[in-house]
This record gives sequence, C-alpha cells and structure tokens, in this order.
Amino acid sequence: MEQAQTSASVASMDWWRTLPDRSDFVRDRAVPIFRYLRRNRLMIIGLGAFAALGLFVGISYLFYSQVDLLGEEQGVNGLVRAASVQANQRPSWNPWSGFPLGTDVQGRDIYAAVVVGIPLSLRIGVIAAAIGVGVGMVLAFVAAYVGGVIDAVIRTIVDSLIPIPGLLVLVLVATSLNPGQGLTVDQLAFVIAVLAWPGPARVIRSQVLVIRERGYVEMARMSGTSALGIIFKEMMPNLAPYALASFVAATSGSILASIGVESLGLGPLDSPTLGSMIYWNIFTSSVLLGLWYWLLPPIIVLIVLFVGLFMISAGLDEVANPRLRRRV
Amino acid sequence: MFVVTIWMASTIVFFLPRLSGQNPLAEKIYQEAQQGGYQDPDVAERVRVFEEKYGFDKPLWQQYVKFVVDVVQFDLGRSIFQWPKSVNEILAEKIMWTLVMGLLTLVLAFLIGSAMGALLEWRRNNWGLMVAMAPILAISAVPFFIFGLVLQLIVFNIDREFPLVYGFKQGVVGWPDWSDWEFIASVLKHAILPALSITLVSLGGWAMGMRGMMVTTKGEDYMVQAEAKGLPDRVMLTKYAIRNSLLPQVTGLTLALGLIVSGVVLVEIVFGYPGVGGQLLQAVRSNDYPTTQGIVFVLAFGTAAATLALDLMYPLLDPRIKSDGT
Repeated sequence: MEQAQTSASVASMDWWRTLPDRSDFVRDRAVPIFRYLRRNRLMIIGLGAFAALGLFVGISYLFYSQVDLLGEEQGVNGLVRAASVQANQRPSWNPWSGFPLGTDVQGRDIYAAVVVGIPLSLRIGVIAAAIGVGVGMVLAFVAAYVGGVIDAVIRTIVDSLIPIPGLLVLVLVATSLNPGQGLTVDQLAFVIAVLAWPGPARVIRSQVLVIRERGYVEMARMSGTSALGIIFKEMMPNLAPYALASFVAATSGSILASIGVESLGLGPLDSPTLGSMIYWNIFTSSVLLGLWYWLLPPIIVLIVLFVGLFMISAGLDEVANPRLRRRV
Repeated sequence: MFVVTIWMASTIVFFLPRLSGQNPLAEKIYQEAQQGGYQDPDVAERVRVFEEKYGFDKPLWQQYVKFVVDVVQFDLGRSIFQWPKSVNEILAEKIMWTLVMGLLTLVLAFLIGSAMGALLEWRRNNWGLMVAMAPILAISAVPFFIFGLVLQLIVFNIDREFPLVYGFKQGVVGWPDWSDWEFIASVLKHAILPALSITLVSLGGWAMGMRGMMVTTKGEDYMVQAEAKGLPDRVMLTKYAIRNSLLPQVTGLTLALGLIVSGVVLVEIVFGYPGVGGQLLQAVRSNDYPTTQGIVFVLAFGTAAATLALDLMYPLLDPRIKSDGT
C-alpha cells in the first residue's frame, strides 16, 4: 500500500525525472494514465463492463445476420428489422432454432432486439447527459463567476428543482409533446435533457467556487488573463475530472429516467430500446406467462450497464478527490 | 425555497399538459355520446357547458391564476375520466398506500444501510460483513423496479402461490376491510416484494455514504481523545462516531427524496400496487389533466415538504447550526 502511494505521487508529478528527456505524447499522457488506471480497480471493472457490452454489440453486428422473414434485408438492416418486425414465430426459447435467445410474444428475435437496443439506450443517455452537463456547466460558470443576484437566481432555481420528482415531470413532458404515437429515440433524449441539468450545475458550481480561489487562478488574474482565458485555460483542465464524473453520473441518471419513462409506455415503442422491451414485458405480464427468457436479457444488460457506469463514476471520483485514493 | 419549489411544481404541472393541444373533455364527451349508437344533437352544447364548468373556456392566464389559487387551498379540481369524482377523493383512496410504502422502505433502508456502513468501517476486516455487502453494493446501481422484476421472476419460479401483484388478494367480497385480520395479513404479504425491492436496492447507497463519513470521523481529534479516555468501544461507536457521521447522511436524504418518490411510483406500477403510481399511469394515458396534475403536484408537494422538514430538523441534529440564518 505504501509502495503504491509513493508511486502514485511519482506517477502524477515527478515521474518524468526517471525518463530520458524527451517529450512524447505516449510518455506525457498515456503512460501515467495507464499506470494510474492499474490501481483504480473500480474504474477498470466499470470500463471492462462497458468494453464487454461494446464487444458484444460490435461482434453481433458483424457476424449475427438474421435475415428477416420477408427476406428483404440482411446485414445491419436485417438485424434492425429482425429486432422490430415480427418473425411469425410463437414465443419460444430454443437456442438451436436459429434464434439464440428465443422470440418474444410478438415473434421478434430477442437477441437482435438486445443487440440493437443497447446502443439505442446508450444514445439516449449520452445525448441527454451531454446537453445536461453542457447547460449545467454554463450555468455553473455564470453563477459562480458573475455572482450576486444572478448567482442567487440560478441557485434558487436549481435548489428548488431538485426536490421535484423528476420522473413525474418527464412523464408530463412526454405525454404532452406527442400523445398517442410515442416519441422517437432522439426526442426522448431531449425530453430527458430537460431535467438533466440541475444536478451537474450544482456540483460544478461548488467546484468552480473552490477552484476560483486557488493560487494559480489568482496568478492568472494578476497577470491580466481575461475572464474567458481563465475559465478555459486555467479552470477547465482542473474541472475536467469533476465534469467527466458528473457526465457519467448524468448518463446513468438519464438512462434510468429513459427506462422509467419507457416502462410507462411513453417512449419509442417501435424502436427496440431496452426500456421498451421492459415495457412490453410489464404490459404482457411476461413473468406470469413464464417468459423469463424474454425479461432476463434486457435486465441483465441493464444491470451490467448501471453497475458499470456506477463504477466508472466512482473511479472518476477517486481521480477528482485524491484523498479518496489512499483508502481503496 | 419551499415556496419556490411549490410554485414551480404547480406551474410545471399546469402548463405541460396544456402544451399537447388536445381537448380531453370534448373527446370524452363525444366518445360517450356515440356509445349508445344514438346521436345526441346537443353534444356541442354539452361540451360547451362542461368546458365552462372546468373553466377551459377562459383565457390561459385566468385558468393559471385560478389553478394556483385553488392549489394553494388544496382544491385540485375534478377528474375528467372519473367524473364526478374530485381529484382529492381519488388521491384520498390511493395516497396512503404510497405514503406508507415509501416512508417505511425509506426509513428501513436508511437505518439498516447506515448501520451497515458504520459497522463496515468500524470493524474493517470483518469478512462476513464484506461478503454480505458485495451483492448489496452491486444492486445499488440498479433501478428499484428493475430489481422488482428480478424478484418477481425469482419468486415466481420458487413459489407459484406467492402474491406477485396487487396490494391485497383480489376478488374477495367486502374487501378492502381494515377490521378484517385476514385482509391485513393479505396486505402485508403483498407488500413484501415491493418493499424488499425498494429497501434492498437503496441499502447500498446509504451504506457507502455512511462508510465514507465514518472514515473522516475516525480521523478526528475527538475520536483519539475518546480512545485515550478509555471509553468502551460501543460508546465510541454510537455516541461519537455514528452521531457525527449521521449528519451528512441526512443531507443526502434530502437530496435523494425526489429520486425515491419517482422510484416508488414505478415500483407500484410494476407490482400493480394500489398506490398513486397506477392511478398516474391511467390518468396520463387518458389525458386526464386534473388527475395527472393533482397527483404530480401532491407528490412534488410531499417531497418538498419532507425536504423542508428535514432542513428544519437539522439544527436539532447539529447544535452548531442555529436557525437564525436561512
């Protein structure tokens, strides 16, 4: 443990003294990051879970070609069709029948649905989180930098939005935007982004307040750097771990929200996202029908996804708060 | 802050459903008018009368002012689809289920989770605890209702007789009857799965938070002093370490409330529990503004009120904070 600690400080600050004097991207950035990652177990497990999901999807896209029953399209399009179009099958599970995970109540290929659903659900999470963290960050900088009345207004809005149960508002938004037909995947992402910003805004604002008082920012200010220069050159790099951590947390939260909204039947019911698979499961009460092989795949994927995101964000926390590093 | 939250909630709740540009009242009346196969010549007139009754004929800002004034007095209007029931009546039937389920699981998870977290850090090398914690931590990232589905799957395959859905046994004449012991037993039995799915999932978060705080607390000077005084281990744990670590947990509680309410609503839907969750789903599907508004508003109000209550309790828990500030 002691050993690891000293090598940590070496890796982060003085490691270059041990190397020949040559600046090189791999040595400057990649090696220390790699060395650090080796000790950040949470991050490794989380990234590993993601890599596994990515490999699963990628390999399936390449090699799993389920020609839809109409025989119209093969390859990637065929996969998407197989995931959403009925294959004139009864719900059944027989791995040797050409459907490795069986078929659901509407005769769709469950394997294809999972493969297509993972990127779709991730896409919702990433779009919503990117918008949320982006907006949150701008608000945080404005609030912490301008201060005064504007800070008070932003803080009040953020603080009073946080106790409102988000899912309920999202349900209202989702129903009012497009009642009946359901939303598309991207629309759902935007709906979820509506409530994805208060959390990041709050976290980043408090960090900006801390960093603003640091010596190097003071130094930059005294040497006449403009406000924007300070924000982008001095503060952003030091905020990056926090921003990344809140981005990962926001992604997880957004996927959670999307699954929630979709499970109420308000999402894109035609697209085989993981959430709409869950919805159809609840809708047809598949548990009582004994269709466990339909319910289990999306649940397992979701568990891997959420646990992976959780571990990555915990790992990033460790990067952001070096105090946490000592006790693993 | 509380007032702003309530105002925001009521504003959101008022405007969002109206963005859809649908007229559920007219839809409902036209639908009913067609049901008998007999064309009522006065349908348009009937729609007009009802719109007047609901105030839908007035300009939007007047509706808004009236809505806010009404809501402040807890008058949530009448349901459109369950006319002539008022939203308050609908809520009165359902809210207790949600409230009891939510509070019970919240308190259970908070207490057990905090205790586990505290012990985890206090007895650092206790293998039993660590083994018990591993699965709890793993599922803590999973949404309540997804875990609920997993529980349903498992229980269904072990015991087909065990109740998976509904709040009590369906199809018994005279139920719900709270003076009947059999009914209460049935309610308790049906509550086990939803309660478990909420409690087990939330345990991990509280345990981790508590453990993190215990680490900091253990390093404080007063802990060294307590040890030097020769205080028994138990006193040090309960009166010194836990007492001081619990404060940030309470702050965490105020932040988590909104998420927990959302989670409970979903769990209710998965388990067909007779709380407001199912009612909300039904209201949303049928475009029943007043009911949707009422449910969302009451839940938001409850969460905000609980947050306020916790904020007010804070000085009691932490004597250093005097409530002279905000």
